[in-house]
Amino acid sequence: MAILDGKKVIIIGDRDGIPGPAIAACAESAGAEVIFSSTECFV
Amino acid sequence: MDLENQKRVLEFSEQYGQENVVVLLGAAEGEAASLAAETVTLGDPTFAGPLAGVSLGLTVYHVVEPEVKEEFNADVYDEQCGMMEMVLDVDDICSEMNAIREQL
Amino acid sequence: MSNSVIKGTGYVLVHVPGMVMDHGTTQTTEKIVNPNSDYLKEIGSHMRSYEQVVNYAPNQTYIGNMSIEALTQLGQPWYEEGKEVKGERYGKFGEIMPEAEFLLLMQACDAFDLVRLEKGFVEAHKAELAADPVITEEIMALVKDGVDQSEIDHFVNDEHAESMTYEGKLVGYVKRAHDVDTNLSAHVMFENLVAKASGVLSILHLLRESGIDPLDVEYVVDCCEEACGDMNQRGGGNFAKAEAEIAGLKNATGSDARGFCAGPSHAMVEAAALVKSGAYKNVVVVGGGCTAKLGMNGKDHVKKGLPVLEDVLGGFAILVSENDGVNPEINLEVLGRHTVGTSSAPQGVIQALVMDPLQANGMSLMDVDKFSPELQNPDVLKPAGAGDVTEANNKMIAALGVKLGMIPKTEMKTFMEQHGLTGYAPTQGHIPSGVPYLGFARQSILEGTTKNAMIIGKGSLFLGRMTNLFDGVSFLVQKNTGKEEAVVGAAKTVTIGLAAEGTELGEENLKQAVALAAKKGVKVVIMEGGHAEMEAKLASGEIDGAVAAHYPFPIGVSTVGRVVTPAYGKEMFIANTTGTSDTDRVAAMVKNTVAGIIAAKACGVENPTVGIANVDGAKATEKYLKKLAEGGYKVNFTESSRADGGAVMRGNDLLKGTPDIMVMDSLTGNLMMKMFGAYTTGGSYEASGFGYGPGLGEGFNNLVLIVSRASGAPVIANACAYAAELINNGWNKIAAKEYAAANKAGLAEIVAEIKAANVKAAPAAGAAKVVAPAKETVTFGILGIEVMDIEDAATALWAEGIYAESGMGCTGPVVLVSDANGAKATEILKAKGFIS
Repeated sequence: MAILDGKKVIIIGDRDGIPGPAIAACAESAGAEVIFSSTECFV
Repeated sequence: MDLENQKRVLEFSEQYGQENVVVLLGAAEGEAASLAAETVTLGDPTFAGPLAGVSLGLTVYHVVEPEVKEEFNADVYDEQCGMMEMVLDVDDICSEMNAIREQL
Repeated sequence: MSNSVIKGTGYVLVHVPGMVMDHGTTQTTEKIVNPNSDYLKEIGSHMRSYEQVVNYAPNQTYIGNMSIEALTQLGQPWYEEGKEVKGERYGKFGEIMPEAEFLLLMQACDAFDLVRLEKGFVEAHKAELAADPVITEEIMALVKDGVDQSEIDHFVNDEHAESMTYEGKLVGYVKRAHDVDTNLSAHVMFENLVAKASGVLSILHLLRESGIDPLDVEYVVDCCEEACGDMNQRGGGNFAKAEAEIAGLKNATGSDARGFCAGPSHAMVEAAALVKSGAYKNVVVVGGGCTAKLGMNGKDHVKKGLPVLEDVLGGFAILVSENDGVNPEINLEVLGRHTVGTSSAPQGVIQALVMDPLQANGMSLMDVDKFSPELQNPDVLKPAGAGDVTEANNKMIAALGVKLGMIPKTEMKTFMEQHGLTGYAPTQGHIPSGVPYLGFARQSILEGTTKNAMIIGKGSLFLGRMTNLFDGVSFLVQKNTGKEEAVVGAAKTVTIGLAAEGTELGEENLKQAVALAAKKGVKVVIMEGGHAEMEAKLASGEIDGAVAAHYPFPIGVSTVGRVVTPAYGKEMFIANTTGTSDTDRVAAMVKNTVAGIIAAKACGVENPTVGIANVDGAKATEKYLKKLAEGGYKVNFTESSRADGGAVMRGNDLLKGTPDIMVMDSLTGNLMMKMFGAYTTGGSYEASGFGYGPGLGEGFNNLVLIVSRASGAPVIANACAYAAELINNGWNKIAAKEYAAANKAGLAEIVAEIKAANVKAAPAAGAAKVVAPAKETVTFGILGIEVMDIEDAATALWAEGIYAESGMGCTGPVVLVSDANGAKATEILKAKGFIS
């Protein structure tokens, strides 16, 4: 069964890893609905 | 994990039901990914935020893990994350994430 | 205009363990949400002494006492026992100030009587501050006498004042500047006074290091991360002038620039532009430190048994001055920018900040000696799980280089070692972002060990919750090109080689041409040895460009002619006139347009207008050029002078010179050149115009202009002048920039699409035959379809159930449908790509 298709996705991105919007684009391409996207910053 | 983000995770899992919510992470290191994954499954290990002592048990993956990667459109993934695969320690991230999932 | 230079740098650290506890947000948040936590109990025993901070290697690098190479060799982590160095308070670029002196400096920077320190504390430390070589008597005069401890206790306990502690003891306070206004609260005033005082200290060290007279500084740009103002203008400003006042810059004004961690890079670009424009001769960029970030990752440090490494404030100041012919220049042509439209994916960011500016200037990654991205100290961030940010940046640059085929994957590590840096700056947000390296960069460029460095600032704008965008800018610092650069703008004498072998008009004609060119200020040398001599002398630089008859260009290179049109005597570029820019006719015309724009711009036409000659393929060319324009490459279409307008030009427009650039296939262009050149002479002597023009193609860097065997002396002389103009205006840089812009807008993809469309256009075997719908009266004409496609267009409409007839109207091919179906049919043809 698909992990993401049809699911509500919460994104915790990282400024120095993969930022939120980039993950959101991937998640949407897998049929998930992004309900929250944030990017954390350690610096 | 940032306190505001913890609050949002808690609210959304209550609103939509834990089984309907998936958390995707983009942390730069395995350790940070593990900490975030632990926070949304077993609870905030730093006992600082709203998820302290709250075991949501949400499905959680790092965006570079093969299980979710295969569900993404390959072109989109390559454009958004392809380069970072060369930068991040993907093996370390995957093993840290698996270690957390094994505790569930 | 001459580039600005970096004339000096100042870098300071301030050891503030007291502020870590009282003002770092990690600690203040913990005090609210978890007041009895183990962290708060333990953190006190993890604070470093002043001596430990001075002997910590990355701190000595920040103030210029230890090279980055030596620090790298010492090996991480630097907090380990045995890695201490014998540090000093003062360094080449600045100092590490102890907390007690800094509290006094904060008071000196207080203009509103908000700061008070205890009597005994002032007495004990005043002399220490006065002994600092950069602290002036004027500043010492601002230090007030101390007050009783009871007053301090009262204000902190009862009047909402913020505490100033030293060695665990309350020694002073910062009181609120307004009873109600939260923007003037004690907390905000404390943060702002810290930013101001550390900014001032940075400027003072910059003045010392650069030796500039403080009265010669005309402008200050502050780029710290705080905001000063009251409740009616929260970020009213400005720190810059407030700092300039204390630092004694009496002739300066200034303003604040913000952009999260990218702030300093934005400020540097702004300062460089202010100086280059001539507005100000000496501009200081300054950024003071930030209390909120003190101990930001302290929990991880304590948990892992490390000292709390974020126990210092950082500050820096840079002097940007008019070109002195010596100091390193800021090259504003190599200017990376993360725009609103740029992706926030890491590869989008690196593409925009690193690759785009290099490619636009015809440079590769290898042409930059050092990349200076975010230089956060990895000792601080690795234990917090954020990794080595500097190394990750180095890797990202290398990885994109691999993805773009600039570096083999096996060379990634070598590239990173040779072109990357090691991080060492305190994690004070904006402070580590690219600019810490400017001190070392200036030094090594002056010494000649480094030729250039790219400074890359990135900022997390999304943290402000006003946008989800990321941000960043980058610029190149390079070796001063010497006095020569200062006279750019005055045309230098160029030498053009003339290789007109096989001319039908005789030797005398060539001699006349040389003489005519000399009158125009262009030195022309006849290449007796023909093309071989010409190529050799172009390679050696003995000649700057050449004019030749019959020169064979490779496929992909084609020439842009320049004529004088008869109706109004207006000049017009014909793109193109010889050579083949692409084997596909339409693809060639698209590429010819870019070549035409390059030639026109290199002749000083700022925003040249483009028209497409009404030849076979014109409509398709228009369609693809519009696509290129949608991708972001500017094509400034003009309108035909004929009543029905449009970007496709009629014969009349040729004679009138309606567009600056007339696009066509090169065979037609060649014909046009002969017509325009010889229509007054009867045919065998081309008397007017500038000839067939320079061979342009991506990556082709030799300047060779073409004339024909029938080109008369005036045309040859004009061709030589055309060549000189191109050289003086830096044609090769313009060409690199235009090709980079066109490629970014998808030129290669469009060319591929054109070629794929040609294949598709061939009828597929076994395709179902479309039957015509019932015939009806057709009076609605749809124009703009290629003649070759006219039948297919009608059939396509049939397939959608619309009856259509094809025909040839007086302005070109036309598909006719009923009035009722007009709009729908137009939509269908647009959707299928028959019309644009």
